[in-house]
Amino acid sequence: MLNDSEMNRYSRQIRLFGEEGQEMLLRTSVFIAGAGGLGSVISLYMAAAGFGKIRIVDCDSVELSNLNRQILHANADVGRPKAKSAYETLTGINPEIEVEALVETISEDNIDQLLQGSHLIMDAMDNFPVRYLLNRAALQRKIPLFHGAISGYQGQATTIIPGKTACLSCIFPRAPPATTFPALGSTCGVIGSIQVTEAVKYVTSAGKLLENRLLLWDGLNGCLEEMAYGRNTACRDCSDREY
Amino acid sequence: MLVKVLAFAGFREILGKERELEIKEAATAKELLAELAQVSPRFKEAAFDESGALRDYVLLMINRKRIDPILDLSRPLQEGDELAIFPPLAGG
Repeated sequence: MLNDSEMNRYSRQIRLFGEEGQEMLLRTSVFIAGAGGLGSVISLYMAAAGFGKIRIVDCDSVELSNLNRQILHANADVGRPKAKSAYETLTGINPEIEVEALVETISEDNIDQLLQGSHLIMDAMDNFPVRYLLNRAALQRKIPLFHGAISGYQGQATTIIPGKTACLSCIFPRAPPATTFPALGSTCGVIGSIQVTEAVKYVTSAGKLLENRLLLWDGLNGCLEEMAYGRNTACRDCSDREY
Repeated sequence: MLVKVLAFAGFREILGKERELEIKEAATAKELLAELAQVSPRFKEAAFDESGALRDYVLLMINRKRIDPILDLSRPLQEGDELAIFPPLAGG
């Protein structure tokens, strides 16, 4: 049952998916991998929407060059761990949910522990090696992975449901080289918002998910396109799994 | 014959969103990519490595269906085929 404050806080989205939908969000624990450009948008909207428990993880400290896009952090946060300012911003926006913000480097060694109790994984990373790690963990735990990535004006997003859709390695068998990519806050806004919309739809069983569809945002030309794909029967990460 | 090339992300900045190309009958996807590389040195640098091999992370689709760059590049194209090419984005 929602209390009076929750009824008021979420009243505009209760119009969308009812009190039942809101209760589902409040019962959902999410893992957000990264508190950078995508992680800022994802965590702000998830906290505001009332996902009941948010665990956000980032190993870095805030740098001045982050502030053009990483809207979780303020000028006064430069030099502080991103997890700390993330905690303050998110609890400031919504003190009625549980926020856990950890200064950790996501690795093979701690991924199991970090994902403990999480119902879904939000990909807000900036590199493919950790994305592949999240993908394998999602497959192993049979929990969805909401993928997003950006570069400059361009972005991509898709929703991976283990046992149902292609996995991240089916779509992107090989990682592009690591590089310092150009980044625009508003592109993070578009892609992070799509990822959160997908998570809301997944939890409340609404609409049509980006399953086996890679959404491609081209901000420069103002167009959104999609590419259909399927499971790769020879995929190194999901082909030998039985569901 | 006329085929269409649809480029995404970084490739779009080089080739434009889409372009039609006149290529010889039954030319392969590999030959089409080689022709694009000849027309655009920037595309050549972005899509191929120093040894001339297609960079392994580049994704290709023919008529919106994913193709395997190792197995399917030598398949002959047909009039009106659409080759889509895009690099995965990695930033966050």
